[in-house]
Amino acid sequence: MFVSRSMTRRVITVNPDTTIFEAQELMGAHGIRHLPVVDSGGKLIGIVTDRDLRSALPYRFFKEGISPADKEGFQNLTVNDIMTRKVIAIPPSYTIQDALLVIQNSRVGALPVVDEEGRLKGIISVRDLLRAFINVLGIGQPGTLLCILVEEKVGQLKKIVDAITEMGVSFGSVLVARYWDEKKRAVFPYLLTQNVAQVKRKLTEMGYELLDPMQWYIDQLPENERPPDQPKK
Amino acid sequence: MKRTGFLYDDRYRLHKTGPYHPEVPERLEAIYEGIRNGELLEKVSRITALPAELKWVHSVHTPEYAKRFEAACRARHQTLDSPDNQMCPETYEVALLAVGGILEAVRRVMAGELDNAFCAVRPPGHHAETSRAMGFCYFNNVAIAARYLQKQWGLHRVGIVDFDVHHGNGTQHIFDDEPEVYYYSIHQHPTFAYPGTGREFEYGRGAGYGFTKNSPVLPGLSDDDWMRLMERDLFPAFADFKPEFILVSAGFDGHRDDDMSDIKLSTECYSWIMRRLMAMAGEYASGRIVSVLEGGYCLKRLPELARNHVEILLNG
Repeated sequence: MFVSRSMTRRVITVNPDTTIFEAQELMGAHGIRHLPVVDSGGKLIGIVTDRDLRSALPYRFFKEGISPADKEGFQNLTVNDIMTRKVIAIPPSYTIQDALLVIQNSRVGALPVVDEEGRLKGIISVRDLLRAFINVLGIGQPGTLLCILVEEKVGQLKKIVDAITEMGVSFGSVLVARYWDEKKRAVFPYLLTQNVAQVKRKLTEMGYELLDPMQWYIDQLPENERPPDQPKK
Repeated sequence: MKRTGFLYDDRYRLHKTGPYHPEVPERLEAIYEGIRNGELLEKVSRITALPAELKWVHSVHTPEYAKRFEAACRARHQTLDSPDNQMCPETYEVALLAVGGILEAVRRVMAGELDNAFCAVRPPGHHAETSRAMGFCYFNNVAIAARYLQKQWGLHRVGIVDFDVHHGNGTQHIFDDEPEVYYYSIHQHPTFAYPGTGREFEYGRGAGYGFTKNSPVLPGLSDDDWMRLMERDLFPAFADFKPEFILVSAGFDGHRDDDMSDIKLSTECYSWIMRRLMAMAGEYASGRIVSVLEGGYCLKRLPELARNHVEILLNG
C-alpha cells in the first residue's frame, strides 16, 4: 500500500532552462500533463503542468497552431519563468491512502515523490491511484457485489465473512461504509462467484438485511441523511 | 409452420455440479417436460448429440486448455479454474457432446434441412474464455458455432444475441477484434452482477471496434426497461450489420422468479424477445436462427419459458 510501489519511477523531467516549447513537446510525446523540474543534482525545484503552459501562451497557439514568427517571440520563455516553485511532494513511505487524501485536499493531478534530501524518486498521478483503487476493489476479476446492512456492534463482519467462507466462496474485496442510520453499517462484499443466490439465502436465514446496492448513495453518507427512497424492509 | 430442430440428449444430465449449485441436471428435465407437455415434441425435429470434432473446439479454445480440462476430469478433480466450475469425471465428454450437438443443429439449418433450432444443452458456454473455465461454463458453445459458420460455411456476418442476465464475457472477448461477428448482450449491470464486464463503453477493439454492443440493466428493473434497451441498442445495430445467421445465447435467469439476478422480467417478456429475434432473422438471415441454452435456474418457470421459446421458433 505504499506510494513507492505504485508510482512511476522513470519520470520525464525538465530543467529550469528548458524552453516552454520543448516542455510542451515532451508532454505531447509522452502523453503526460506534469513535468517535475529538477536541478543538476536531481533535486526537485518545481513542477510545470499543461495548464501552466496554456496560461503562458496565447490561446490562438492552441487553436490555430504556432507559426515560426510566433515561436520567435516566445522562445526565450523557459520553464523557470512559469513553473510552480512551492511543489506539493510526498515521501515514498506515504501510503496510497495518504496520497489520496493529499490529492483531495490540494486539488493537484499528480504528486512528485521525493526522498529526505529532496531528490526526485518518482511521481504518482490520479491515474496511478485509480489503478491501485481498482485493484483494491477487486473489480478486475469476475464477481458479484452484495450489500448487507448490519448493526454497528463488534463481531458482525466476522460472522458474515465466516458464513461466506464456509460456502467456499472467496472475496475480491470487502468494503464497509457508513449508512444513514448511525447505528448501522453497510457491508459490501465483492464475491468472486456467480453463485450468489445460495449466499443471499444463507445471510437472510442468519437474519441479515440484504440491501439493494442501488439504494446506497456514496454522496449522501457524510450528511447522515435518510435517502428519499429508502426501502422499508 | 417452420421446421424447428430441438437438441436434447439425456447424456447432458451426466454433468453433475455437486451440492449448493444452481446449474443442475433438473434444469434440462424441466425444459424437456415443458416442451413435452406443450405437445411440441411431435412438431419438432429431434437432434441427437454427437461429440464435437476437436478441431472445432480448437477454433476457439487453446489445445492446452482443452487438454487440461480433459485431464482434470480424468483425474476426478471437482473444479476447474474457479470454485464456481464444479464438475465430475463425465463433464468433459458432456461438454464435447454439447458442442457437437449444436454444430449438428447449425449444419442442418445451413443445409436447408431445418429452418431454426433450440439447443437445450449443458454445460452452458458464454462465460468460457479461450483458456479459462468460468461461471459454470467450460467450452464456449456459441463462439464455436460462430467459428464453424465462418470456416465451414464461409459466412462473413454472424450475429450473436446474448439475453442471459449475465454478460457473456467469453464470447465478447473471443470476437473482440473481429468485424465479422457482432456480439450484442443485454444483462444486469456489471457493477451489481457477475462477471463484472459488459459495460456500456465496451465496443470491441481494433478492426472489431463497433461490432460489440452491451446494454447494462440496473437491478430492480423489469420488462419495459429491458425492451426499451433492446429496441434502442440491438435492432438498429443489426439493421446495419445484416447478419447472415443469428446465434442466440438464451438465458432465462432474468426472470422475476429466478434468484440468480435482481432483474424482474415476466414470462411474456421472454416471448417478446424471441418474437423480435425471429422477425430479425426473417428479415436479414433467411430465417436462420439457432438458440442455445445458457443460464436460467428457476425450475418452476423453465417449463413454460422453454415451451414458449420453441412455440415461437415453430410459428415464427
